[in-house]
Amino acid sequence: MDWNCTRTQEQLSDFLEEALPAAEAAAFSSHAASCADCSKVVAQVRGLMRRIEETPQLEVPAQLERKILDATLGPRQQTAETQGWFGWLQMLWQPRFAMGIVTVAASFVIVFHAAAGDNGRSVLNPLNLLRGANRQVHLTYARGAKMVNNLRVVYEIESRLSAQPESMSEPITPPPARPSNDGQPGQQPPANDPHEKSQTIPHASRHHATELAEMNSQSNFADGSSYPAPRSIL
Amino acid sequence: MEPDAQLVELCLRGDGPSWEELVRRHTRRVYNLCYRFTGNAASAEDLSQEVFLRIFRTLRSYQSVHGAFPTWLTSVTRNLLVDHYRRTRRDRVTDSIEDAMPQLEEKHSPMRAPDKLAQAAELSEQLQRGLARLSPELREAVILRDLQGLDYGEIRGVLQVPEGTVKSRINRGRIELARVLDEMGVRPA
Repeated sequence: MDWNCTRTQEQLSDFLEEALPAAEAAAFSSHAASCADCSKVVAQVRGLMRRIEETPQLEVPAQLERKILDATLGPRQQTAETQGWFGWLQMLWQPRFAMGIVTVAASFVIVFHAAAGDNGRSVLNPLNLLRGANRQVHLTYARGAKMVNNLRVVYEIESRLSAQPESMSEPITPPPARPSNDGQPGQQPPANDPHEKSQTIPHASRHHATELAEMNSQSNFADGSSYPAPRSIL
Repeated sequence: MEPDAQLVELCLRGDGPSWEELVRRHTRRVYNLCYRFTGNAASAEDLSQEVFLRIFRTLRSYQSVHGAFPTWLTSVTRNLLVDHYRRTRRDRVTDSIEDAMPQLEEKHSPMRAPDKLAQAAELSEQLQRGLARLSPELREAVILRDLQGLDYGEIRGVLQVPEGTVKSRINRGRIELARVLDEMGVRPA
């Protein structure tokens, strides 16, 4: 059979797909074996066919099907089944719920962190949780009590410091004579006359200082600790 | 009646789930065809949507007696691809030189990723670059036959050319693609 390079290339696909009659296939093979150019082409195309077979199909982009369905059927609603199982999850993405979830999560983190203690014990152990919570409650109570006591001291100091300069700057004078009952305006002092008050403060301050010192020294807390009395200017 | 034809009938009666099933069955085929032809993921995605939109609108014109649904679908896809090819011809002229640069640079680059997935991806990419250098006629013939797995009769129906022409284009397309890949430094498997 007369077989040349042109015919070899024309019949190449048929040969590789085994669609050539036996006689033609034999002539093809014979020519290809003796012709370097045709042999190279046959090897290249055979390699290409194998390569294509090994090439996987491309993955479809994730949202393509949904986009097609939206474009043809209109914006898609979820199926009843999907809504039943996962419908509530979508609700959680609303800002109001998301904010709440974040807050709750943050609270848990804080509580677990606090309950873990200094040694990093297991936070999931109920006993540790209970101990940690108990400790936190007592600490909070103790701190609150201390703050209230300190505030009392501060207010006392403030009230006395604000009143003291007036009493120090003015000489102690005897109380004015009791007004007569003739009702002359301007002569009757008010009941809370600052002059009268300034005379009593030094004594009162000493009394309060003692009282506060005693109070602070008695500020024992539930966990047995006690805060030292504030080292104030008193 | 074949399953696709049944689904089409149900779609024509207004059955939404049947249309969803039809889309699910054939999206991959359409997307692959579009990607292999254009070589661009975004264009392939847009074209795939366009194909199904057209199918949806002209579904009534499909008749199963004239051929299988995948063949009809491929014909519609191919027509849109031809339109797209004509629309973007001017852009491609300016892009062609830039496209050639990476091919030249990567000609002698060694195989990078040893694992199979990466090899498959690289194989696919090399093939894509080779296809892009074929003429549209040869490219579509090779894609339809070797990547889409259509037989000669189906391709004849899609391209509307005699079967001898189909065979000739496929044969020439394969030889040309093999030569191009060889030039790119991709050796036979």
